Amino acid sequence: MIRFEHVTRAYGNRVAVSDLNLNVGQGELLALLGHNGAGKTTTLKMLVGLLRPSSGSVHVGPYSVVGHPREASSLIGYVPDQPYLYDKLSGREFLEFVADMYGLTAVEARDAVTREAERFQLGDFLDQLTESYSHGMRQRTVFAAALIHQPKILVVDEPMVGLDPHSIRLVKDLLRSYADHGKTVLMSTHTLSIAEEIANRVAVMKTGQLVFEGQIDTLRSQVPAAGDSLEALYLALMEEMDF
Amino acid sequence: MRENGLAKSTERTSETLRLPSHEREGQIFWKLRWHVGQTQLKYLLQHARLRTSLVVGLSLLFWVGLFLLFYSGFEFVVDNVGPPGAAYHAQTVQFVFTLFFISLQIMLIFSAGIILYGGLYASRETSFLMTLPVRDSRLVFFRFQEALLFSSWGFFLLASPMMVAYGLVVSARWYYYAYLPVMMVSFAYIPCALGAIICLLLMNRLPHLRRIVVGILAVAVIGAAYFSIWRSLNISNADLLGAAWFKETFHRFEFTRGEWLPSTWLSNGLLDAARPLSQDPNDLPWLESGKYLIVLVSNALFFHVMVTWVGKQVFRSSYFGLNARQAREIKASLTWIDRLALALLKPLNKETRLLITKDLRLFRRDPVQWSQFLIFFGLLLLYFANIDRFRQHRADVSVQTWVNVVSFLNLAVVGLILSTFTTRFIYPLISLEGRRFWILGRLPVKRDTILWGKFLFAACGSLLPCSGLVFISDVMLNVSPMVVLVHQIICLLLCIGLSGMAVGLGALMPNFREQSPSKIAAGFGGTLNLVLSALYIMIVVLLTALPCHFYLLSYGTEIPPRMLQSGFLKLWLGLGIGSSLILAVLVTVLPMRSGLKAFRQLEV
Repeated sequence: MIRFEHVTRAYGNRVAVSDLNLNVGQGELLALLGHNGAGKTTTLKMLVGLLRPSSGSVHVGPYSVVGHPREASSLIGYVPDQPYLYDKLSGREFLEFVADMYGLTAVEARDAVTREAERFQLGDFLDQLTESYSHGMRQRTVFAAALIHQPKILVVDEPMVGLDPHSIRLVKDLLRSYADHGKTVLMSTHTLSIAEEIANRVAVMKTGQLVFEGQIDTLRSQVPAAGDSLEALYLALMEEMDF
Repeated sequence: MRENGLAKSTERTSETLRLPSHEREGQIFWKLRWHVGQTQLKYLLQHARLRTSLVVGLSLLFWVGLFLLFYSGFEFVVDNVGPPGAAYHAQTVQFVFTLFFISLQIMLIFSAGIILYGGLYASRETSFLMTLPVRDSRLVFFRFQEALLFSSWGFFLLASPMMVAYGLVVSARWYYYAYLPVMMVSFAYIPCALGAIICLLLMNRLPHLRRIVVGILAVAVIGAAYFSIWRSLNISNADLLGAAWFKETFHRFEFTRGEWLPSTWLSNGLLDAARPLSQDPNDLPWLESGKYLIVLVSNALFFHVMVTWVGKQVFRSSYFGLNARQAREIKASLTWIDRLALALLKPLNKETRLLITKDLRLFRRDPVQWSQFLIFFGLLLLYFANIDRFRQHRADVSVQTWVNVVSFLNLAVVGLILSTFTTRFIYPLISLEGRRFWILGRLPVKRDTILWGKFLFAACGSLLPCSGLVFISDVMLNVSPMVVLVHQIICLLLCIGLSGMAVGLGALMPNFREQSPSKIAAGFGGTLNLVLSALYIMIVVLLTALPCHFYLLSYGTEIPPRMLQSGFLKLWLGLGIGSSLILAVLVTVLPMRSGLKAFRQLEV
């Protein structure tokens, strides 16, 4: 569903992503890991059409993100690291706006809003202005907006930041079950324990380059002395790359 | 697989097939605007009544004032130049209209371009919308609508009283008023669309040079404007405002009447619509004016199509180009300003010195703050540097009194600009400290010191530019040393009073939820600060301006009334300065005392 082919992205002289080749298939949940500045957010932004690759191509389903941005984004639901909400809209109005943009009919939009509001427990706040929402509420509303059209691909940048334990559980279950239902999930995160818990595969980036891609067991065999947890494996891999 | 395209045209997914049509997208955006607008209106009426009534009231006052001014001006033209239909009448009014509209046309091009840049390239909302399946042309048009509204409301506020006044003075027929709104909207649309197209093309072609290009263009326009003003007024003084001056000026501004300019179409359309019916049955003013109306409307529609077409072609690539730039690494280092400030602040205790230095660095490193200050004060400097016309007629006592009035008006203008500065930048300082209070509140510094530091920063920082500007105005007007001294005293009182008020009220009514200083300043406390500041300026300036004015007037009469004789006038002036001093102490101490009390008990 997602294909990065020889993708390089530079900001002036600084290369943020270098020759990235990455595929994520249907029913897969891939966790993108890496230090700050490794190129994770740049990769996700290229996928959702906010940045254009300097070279290479990004495909979503049958569509090139650069050539057919509108068609590509119709397949994607995106939860950014710094979500934007219209302060002067209520949660319901915001969700309806997003549903309208994806071409849902009025009845479909109403049903979708009800479904997502229930899923993310937005009921009590749905008709309040989003400017009054807490960080967790905002994050849950953005998740609801990203899923309003039940996209084939869900792209999530740092999903757990600022969420309470209850919401973290909710999001974890959601991401896993979404992949289990044949959809594709690409998640960037620093929370290694969550990646370990729910991801089928992990991809590790370092200074713009993909240094590992595969299942956690494969990583264990690559750095056998590191230990069992993904955290230990990740740190050992990073250390190995430094030499 | 074909690059940048579909793998197979038959592979269109169900998701893409159901995406909204172009028209439906437009409707969705209108629905969004409707919801946001409704909520904002409710908020303004429920939570910002003071600000809303102030804005509406002042706008109405401004409109009525302009209307009366234009009405008298056009009456003067009809009485002294000729009635509508007369050759000189048409020439004179056309000169005024074309000059007025071409100036606004240029401003609309720039303001629409700049506002669109902010809306399209520096907005989180646009980034959000780009992740939705929205057409680029629709997205550009959505943001252009905002640029159009925000850049042209000033045009409507300025131009409508002039046009209505002209119609009433010349007893224009019904079609003048019927054409008027359509002509104004179409006229405003053309330069705004042009500004938008220029913005899109500039961002597409020159993303790396945009600051330089904008800077060069701005300097070139300011230089051209300055040169044209200087050239138009640079005629021997004997001719000033006389027939020769008028003829020469009319000739010099020939370029404003070019047939290809929308401002000329609007001027000619209005003049034709307003002129009386002649004896010639083939001369139909409504038709002649209608032709200009059609030219304006068709051009506006053409530019509308162009904006969406150019937006579709270049927006995404220009957006990507702009985001491909390397972030500038700004090294923070001490500059001569910091060193000078440190030297000047030496007499203060260490804590206050450190706090002021911190505020100064934050101010210096945020161009949004000082650039606005620089633009306002730069324009004032330009005006003050060209105000020496009165010097030529010093012997005339009426000119002397006008010089006095103008010098005090200049002082009031400096004060009013300072009050907008203190409201916009000093008032929100305490609110903005809310998020940094975890460090400020824990420092071994008395909270009073923090507040006094901000007061000193504002008062000392504003004194030099304000007193400098007022001094330049006085020198250019060649006022007496006594008036210079009075102005400097008042200037000092204004800087202290306005700073005390802004810091004190800012601490009394902090808003820790808001991060944007402009939104904090636009709240109730900021509006109250602005209104109180304006009142304070008016009272202080009047308290000293009136005695000086009467002092000069008394010289013009052989036997002035007893209370206006020289001895009494000095007493009035002394009393005026004394009252201003007491008022300055009150507006500084009272808000500061309340602010200090609230700040000591502050819990964030």
